[in-house]
Amino acid sequence: MTQIRTPEDVAREVAEGGLATQQMILNVGPQHPATHGVFRLLATIDGEILAEAEPVIGYMHRGYEKLVEARDYRQITNLVSRMDWLSGFNNELPLAMALETLMEIEVPPRAQWLRVVMLEMNRILNHLMFFASFGAELGAITPTFYAFREREDIQLAMESATGGRMHFGFMRPGGLKEDVPRGFIAQALKSVRQVIARLDQYEDLLVGNEIFKQRTVDVGVLSREQVMSYGVSGPIARGSGVSDDVRKDEPYLVYDRFDFNVPIGHSGDCFDRFWVLVHEVVESARIVEQAIEGLPAGPVLGKVPRVIQAPEGEVYVRAENPLGELGYYLASDGDRRPYRLKIRTPSFNNVSVLPEVLRGTFVADMIAILGSFFFVLGDIDR
Amino acid sequence: MSVQERVSAEEAVERLRSTLGDDVGDVEVRFGHLDATCSAENLRHVMTTLRDEPGLRFEFFTFLSAIDRSEFGGPDKPDKHGGLELIVHLYSPAHVLHINVRVPLDLADPRCESISAIYRGANWHEREMRDMFGIQFEGHPNLTGIYLPEDFEGHPGLRSFKLPNRAFIKPWPGAKDPEEAAAGGR
Repeated sequence: MTQIRTPEDVAREVAEGGLATQQMILNVGPQHPATHGVFRLLATIDGEILAEAEPVIGYMHRGYEKLVEARDYRQITNLVSRMDWLSGFNNELPLAMALETLMEIEVPPRAQWLRVVMLEMNRILNHLMFFASFGAELGAITPTFYAFREREDIQLAMESATGGRMHFGFMRPGGLKEDVPRGFIAQALKSVRQVIARLDQYEDLLVGNEIFKQRTVDVGVLSREQVMSYGVSGPIARGSGVSDDVRKDEPYLVYDRFDFNVPIGHSGDCFDRFWVLVHEVVESARIVEQAIEGLPAGPVLGKVPRVIQAPEGEVYVRAENPLGELGYYLASDGDRRPYRLKIRTPSFNNVSVLPEVLRGTFVADMIAILGSFFFVLGDIDR
Repeated sequence: MSVQERVSAEEAVERLRSTLGDDVGDVEVRFGHLDATCSAENLRHVMTTLRDEPGLRFEFFTFLSAIDRSEFGGPDKPDKHGGLELIVHLYSPAHVLHINVRVPLDLADPRCESISAIYRGANWHEREMRDMFGIQFEGHPNLTGIYLPEDFEGHPGLRSFKLPNRAFIKPWPGAKDPEEAAAGGR
């Protein structure tokens, strides 16, 4: 009869090297619901601990930086809109600003204010999407319904002005495609006030939830030093106590005219990143309210030459995208097409820090950490 | 951390000249951003100084990219054509300053020191540049492909790499502009 071993016996055997253990490679993705696209994670696990995690990207690489060299500026507006598909309007802005800088186009005030209204509405759309998905990744499906109820009202307003629900294509160098239709202002105000009024519900549902806190507090800590060295930006950087926000540091458009706060976390864990994201929603809603209140009358498109042809020059223009700093390095040789357009997307830098953050964490926390990095694959791969 | 006065772009140019001297070439201010040139051998030294010098503190790594100027200005202006250039863009949150550091590289055999030990975010950007421009970064911990399949031939970022659907393109037969058409084009 075999003798039954006690736990102490097993522990002694392991200590003496009697029980061989080895690391195992676990492949996550490329198709995994927590990755918002096609993203693969090669995880080397040692028991319950992630010894190494190497993201594998490039499944959605569409070569935009090469494609734009063969297209004129009108076509590029619609291409870049498809990088981060949750914030199409925000993607179009820095390109328009780069052209306005090189061509010295003046943007009329109404266009600037309307841009702010729509940029911030797009930011709310994006953040609500991540509010929904982060909840779903941690096993709570209700946030999805809450977020999509609010999103729909904002989508309706955006749709009435642009005709699109994801890729708006509404930005033009020098202003906007056309003025907003009648009813847009009322619908926009109604939808953002609704968001402000319902933020308490969101707080109760996730931020104040004990189970949610246990899954996220002190999990996946990102330090300030890592933020700087990797160039992490947006809500993820601010969750680690970095106060950088392009809208405050180098105000573009008319952002210096509005009263808004930049929510900042302090511990850099999953919870703080999510807390920053949720509180940015209400700040954006406040900006929309103020921008609509002060909306000036006038044209929405400045004096723009019929053919957009940037003079020779090089400029880097950045803006605060919902996910972080989006910048375009535009090098023009005087043609109708850019000579080179380097697209600096926030998600690429943000995700490159993942191997460091994931090292040494538990496998069970992996999805929470991935979800709290709020990335869009189209934004990583371009 | 002591509270420091913000340094203006012009003051930063002076500080760059005094700390780095000949290691950086002409320093200019373009559209409010500093613009400096350095050689591939000095890149690591320049990067470390930019990050750690108290009056500069370019701590935030924005991006690393490259530009192939071999067709700059089009076929009509051969005097503007240049070579391959690496661009490192850094940001200083303390002083709200930007800098572009340009490194001229040899187009036939582009090599450069890796800066991924100084700015760890450069790791992936250098892998991207290896794919797109074929630049070899010496001292990079894992210089493998990031976007392209391993068996991909060529480096799409280079101007010599033509998009297949543009290589055999015929000129548009009609008038290019509405005004041209109205004036008797087609």
